Amino acid sequence: MCRTLAPLLAAAGLILFGQGAYIHAKALLAQVLLERAFTQTIASGRDTKPWSWADTWPVARIEVRRIGASAIVLAGSSGQALAFGPGHLESTADAGERGVAVYSAHRDTHFRFLKNVRIGDEIAVTRRDGRMFRYRADAHSVVRFDQFAIDPLAGDYELVLSTCWPFDAVTGGPDRYLLHATLIEQDQPYVKAESSRSIAGISSFSAQ
Amino acid sequence: MTAVDALDAATRPRLWRAAKFCLFLLTESAAVLLIGFAALFLNFQPAWSGGLPSSGVTRPGDAKSGSLLLKSEQGYTEAIRLGVDVDLTVSGPTIRARVTQLFRNPGKDWVEAVYVYPLPPGGAVDTLKMVVGDRVVVGEIKERQQARIIYEQAKRDGQKAALTEQERPNIFTNSVANIGPGETVLVQIEYQEPVHQNGNTFSLRVPMVVAPRYNPAPVVQSVEFKPNGGGWGTNSADPVPDRDRISPPVLDPAENAPVNPTAITVRLQAGFALGEVKSHHHAVNTEKVSDGSQIVRLADGVVPADRDFELTWTPAAEKAPSVDLFREHVGDADYLLAYVTPPSADGAAQKPMPREVIFVIDNSGSMGGISIMQAKASLLYALGRLQPGDRFNVIRFDHTMDVLFPSPVPADNEHVQRATSFVSGLQAAGGTEMLPAMRAALSDSNREDSSYVRQVVFLTDGAIGHEEQMFETIAALRGRSRIFMVGIGSAPNTFLMTRAAELGRGAFTHIGSTEQVEERMRTLFSKLENPAVTGLSAKFSDAKSDMTPQVLPDIYRGEPLVLAAKLDKLAGSVEIKGRIGDRPWSVNLPLANAAEGKGLSKLWANRKIADAEVSRTMRQSTPEEADKVVLALALEHQLVTRLTSLVAVDKTPSRPDGETLKLAELPLNLPHGWEFEKVFGERMRKAPVERRADDARVQHAVLKRSPVPAATNAAVTLPKTATDADIKLAAGAILLGIALLLFLITRRQYRPL
Repeated sequence: MCRTLAPLLAAAGLILFGQGAYIHAKALLAQVLLERAFTQTIASGRDTKPWSWADTWPVARIEVRRIGASAIVLAGSSGQALAFGPGHLESTADAGERGVAVYSAHRDTHFRFLKNVRIGDEIAVTRRDGRMFRYRADAHSVVRFDQFAIDPLAGDYELVLSTCWPFDAVTGGPDRYLLHATLIEQDQPYVKAESSRSIAGISSFSAQ
Repeated sequence: MTAVDALDAATRPRLWRAAKFCLFLLTESAAVLLIGFAALFLNFQPAWSGGLPSSGVTRPGDAKSGSLLLKSEQGYTEAIRLGVDVDLTVSGPTIRARVTQLFRNPGKDWVEAVYVYPLPPGGAVDTLKMVVGDRVVVGEIKERQQARIIYEQAKRDGQKAALTEQERPNIFTNSVANIGPGETVLVQIEYQEPVHQNGNTFSLRVPMVVAPRYNPAPVVQSVEFKPNGGGWGTNSADPVPDRDRISPPVLDPAENAPVNPTAITVRLQAGFALGEVKSHHHAVNTEKVSDGSQIVRLADGVVPADRDFELTWTPAAEKAPSVDLFREHVGDADYLLAYVTPPSADGAAQKPMPREVIFVIDNSGSMGGISIMQAKASLLYALGRLQPGDRFNVIRFDHTMDVLFPSPVPADNEHVQRATSFVSGLQAAGGTEMLPAMRAALSDSNREDSSYVRQVVFLTDGAIGHEEQMFETIAALRGRSRIFMVGIGSAPNTFLMTRAAELGRGAFTHIGSTEQVEERMRTLFSKLENPAVTGLSAKFSDAKSDMTPQVLPDIYRGEPLVLAAKLDKLAGSVEIKGRIGDRPWSVNLPLANAAEGKGLSKLWANRKIADAEVSRTMRQSTPEEADKVVLALALEHQLVTRLTSLVAVDKTPSRPDGETLKLAELPLNLPHGWEFEKVFGERMRKAPVERRADDARVQHAVLKRSPVPAATNAAVTLPKTATDADIKLAAGAILLGIALLLFLITRRQYRPL
């Protein structure tokens, strides 16, 4: 009996192991292709798909230099995009713009490094237009997935990295770990240029 | 010695077994890696639970991911080429337009071509001609269903046929059956349209592309407006039953060269000496024929059909005449068209009433790119124009909605500042759920306070397919509010704008480029800030008249009153009365002075048809009554309407039996300045149904103000971000471990002792 059970168990183990490894392999290899596509995006100034049938494209690079972590962020936060890299939540601001930019990724792949990020660490976000913005991690919190809200009136330049909490749980849960960071430096005064361009020609813009 | 030997003998097979086990692990991991990489980019669904369910993929959505697919299908987009020539003749108050569409079939199949195109909403289509070789077939007006049957019959019989149908008052479809391999078929339609006038400026607009519309999924939301709403079955009606008919494929500009080259010629005979003639979005060449007459052509010959053509002209004289009368004799009736511009009240004479202004801004995905910048700039301008005594509020919407303040607030520095920063931070994304926003804007919390004039300023591109529901909402809820529509972008939905402004007793304006923002908003504000001409009525002294619009609208500063009438005789005069602010005003016009005009009967009939549709929306007449009026007018005046179509059939059969016919829906350009991903990308990834299912989930940002700060803010659902990779790895390893253990045990059992 043991003779038949052993190969069966081995096969089942192999399949499970394979699926687990597949998730990691997909996450790893996709990042390689994404890195290439992102470099091209910056160079050409056009969104470039990492592979021809992809339904998403790279929009930013997140780096935490102290721990040597880096990931290419994709547009959108659908499950399929998240398989390949962190996703930029569509409804939130772009990095470097006024408001809160939210990036989200799996705790066991691309954002595994989040637990190693300490308050005070510097997080660099390179956007698809090549501009880089540096943020400083200044707080972390744990919230339920549906309890997170952005104050649309807050004038801050904020970055939030989100992943599942707790880090080493084996099953999914409703809690999310959020790392909050505030903009400390940008390579160009981008926001000012943008807003003055969009209202060019309106002399009476300044409210009385 | 023996001990060492024994040990040796015992170790060797054990070592061998260990080596074998290592080899096993190695092959195993190699296999795992192989499987992993092979399947790398296939989508095994179960492991990823974070994603929203993908919605029913729309056809334009397909076009994005399937551009390769299109080619393999006998060149869907390659099969038919289209060229458009638009020839406009402006004679005084009217525009006669001839639109020629050239369909060329370079392929090897017999093709039916279907082209969806826009026309100005005031345009009365009355002629269809089809040119096949040297034969010209003239279309006939038929009831829509009947026309369809005639066309389908001809299509089956292999005859060439053309059909012009109205999908919306500003969207038409031309179908051309049986275009043979290598053949070219010309289809020509003609329409009549009144010239627009605003203050000193006259204008015409040629829409060139139907912008992709947001068509909400069928939901029970529309219950309250159904007259016989009872069971669930009747209420779950699709808000856009004809979504397929108004959603042709759209090409991604990043991957395709623009299609549908269009040439435009305007023969301008203004009837007065021309001052400035200006094309707002296209480079043009003008050729002067005489003082009052010019020919305007596109400088580049042809342009891709991806934005509206807008031409304005002003008289050389200081001021445009304040009264214009035109007449035409058709059959046994006289038709009259009058433009009367009331004098503008001098503001010093009366103190303007304080205003309560509700600004609504559309930040849906279709507004992405230039449009949102224009909309934001316009709204920021508007905020800056508020007076200290005014009250205001700001609402933004995509498929969600935020109301900035719980109720309208005084326009003081602090509130305006807050609104300014709120507006500056807006981004364009998501669907276009316009109804809840309109409802919120019309909910009047200070109803009993009549010392304020209530105005709603609505900034949108109007890219929705359920206009009728919008109109019903406005008709039902407008109360004392007046609605001012601001059409944003290169191809706004003009029909929605004009009809909504009409039902909302307001005005509308277009902003097609950032340069226009200040000029257009200034004009709009002069309308908002100055008293309207109200209580207008017109009376003919001698002639019996059938007048339209039935109820004369209020007139804002600079606008003319446009009046069309059918008279039994051209005698006596017409007296127009009204009130400018609180002062009475009247003017008496002798009809004998009217100048000769062209196509006025069609304009009158088209305006009457619009009246019938409006009274149906307002529930002043039943749908059956309205249909009867529309049908009678359409058949008498040969107009294409909701209920009538033009059909032309070439009796000579051309397609031999046995040859099959392929359908080609002609793809459209994306309107200029739009971002493909914002429209189609978002639509594919998001499942709007989920958000829309109940209104309760609409986020009223500050409405639900409570001590908990989180509740006042825009909630963001954080995606699920845990994979089962680790648990699978662990479980797999454990199983493998057990298997190994069993393997070892069984081996041990067989080992001779």
